[in-house]
Amino acid sequence: MSVDPEFERLVKLYYRDLYRFGFSLTRSEADACDLTQQTFYIWANKGHQLKDLAKVKGWLFTALHREFLQMSRRQERFSDEPISEVAQNLPHVSADVVNRMDAQTMLEALGQIDEGYRAPLVLYYSEDLSYKEIADVLEIPLGTVQSRIARAKTHLFGLLTETNHPSRQSK
Amino acid sequence: MNTSEAKERLFLYRGPIDDADPQFEEALAHARRDPELAEWMREQSRSYGTIRSKLREIEPPNDLAEKIVRKRPIPFSRGWTQIIRKQPIPFSGGWTQVLQVAAAIVILAGITAVWLNLSQRGRHALVQGQEIVVRGEVLDMTCYIARNLSGPQHAQCARDCIRKGLPVGIKGEDGKTYLLVGKKQAVNAELADYAAKTVTIRGRETMRDGFAQLQVEEIRKF
Repeated sequence: MSVDPEFERLVKLYYRDLYRFGFSLTRSEADACDLTQQTFYIWANKGHQLKDLAKVKGWLFTALHREFLQMSRRQERFSDEPISEVAQNLPHVSADVVNRMDAQTMLEALGQIDEGYRAPLVLYYSEDLSYKEIADVLEIPLGTVQSRIARAKTHLFGLLTETNHPSRQSK
Repeated sequence: MNTSEAKERLFLYRGPIDDADPQFEEALAHARRDPELAEWMREQSRSYGTIRSKLREIEPPNDLAEKIVRKRPIPFSRGWTQIIRKQPIPFSGGWTQVLQVAAAIVILAGITAVWLNLSQRGRHALVQGQEIVVRGEVLDMTCYIARNLSGPQHAQCARDCIRKGLPVGIKGEDGKTYLLVGKKQAVNAELADYAAKTVTIRGRETMRDGFAQLQVEEIRKF
């Protein structure tokens, strides 16, 4: 089968980022591979509908996220509180604490965060996307993205601090 | 804005990537005046960087790209390269209008040719090359040549310089650097937001006094 070199180049540019996003959402290598493959399959069929090529990265992430939502088939409703209510007692986790953890521990902590909050948090941390771009990818309002990230970050910090607690480490 | 409000706002601040976001402007200004807040913000940034690097340690299986490209039966109903081809604009007028436009083009082309011929006299020769495709980092040429500045750390400055109209260039993956010139107008506005990012540019390579230029035909911003 002949291969479109431009398609191949696009795959090589983004498959890592997409896989990472998929893996952070599912914590399963097989599911992340399926999601990544399916995303490029959708691109091959529908990519021509995208008029602004500068938005191709966001387009691919949106496609993967939609596939993930379909895969999980869970339509939960999330309470989106304003940031001010979320961040009254802003938690903190030091870089040293995080440094002592491996990626697996980080993923386990992420896995404990609700799906609707996990996706914006992963994009916030691992991709160079602005809040507006994250909102576009996840197809939710900008304010919602910010409040979800703030909530998820608070939750994550709590989990990381708990994981790093001496009483747990000594076990 | 007091310290507590500034902290609340900066809880979502990641570092240079959010510098252009106006929602952080006031809080950042506050942090510049408040050393304690500045230290809190630095620690937040460090923890952001560490979590980010942990997440980015996740690597896909080695053969995933190969599988996507070769093994999956992907129907290329329309290749994505077709997107960039502009659709012909339907001509609503009759043949008279077509001929009028054609005549205008011929006359303009003639005038341009004469003007170009005159303007080239006394100048250094421009050596025309072939069409090439260069993938690489968008550079602010002033800082790059004068002070060897490039990369993400310099993105904000590069963006500002390019936006202000200073020369813009691209450093290809093979290390060769080109000054980017538009066919009719500067390409600064189009590239400013991509400073320090990777783009692919198709254009005609030209050379003036040993300095490589790329006359831009098409920019792919991903």
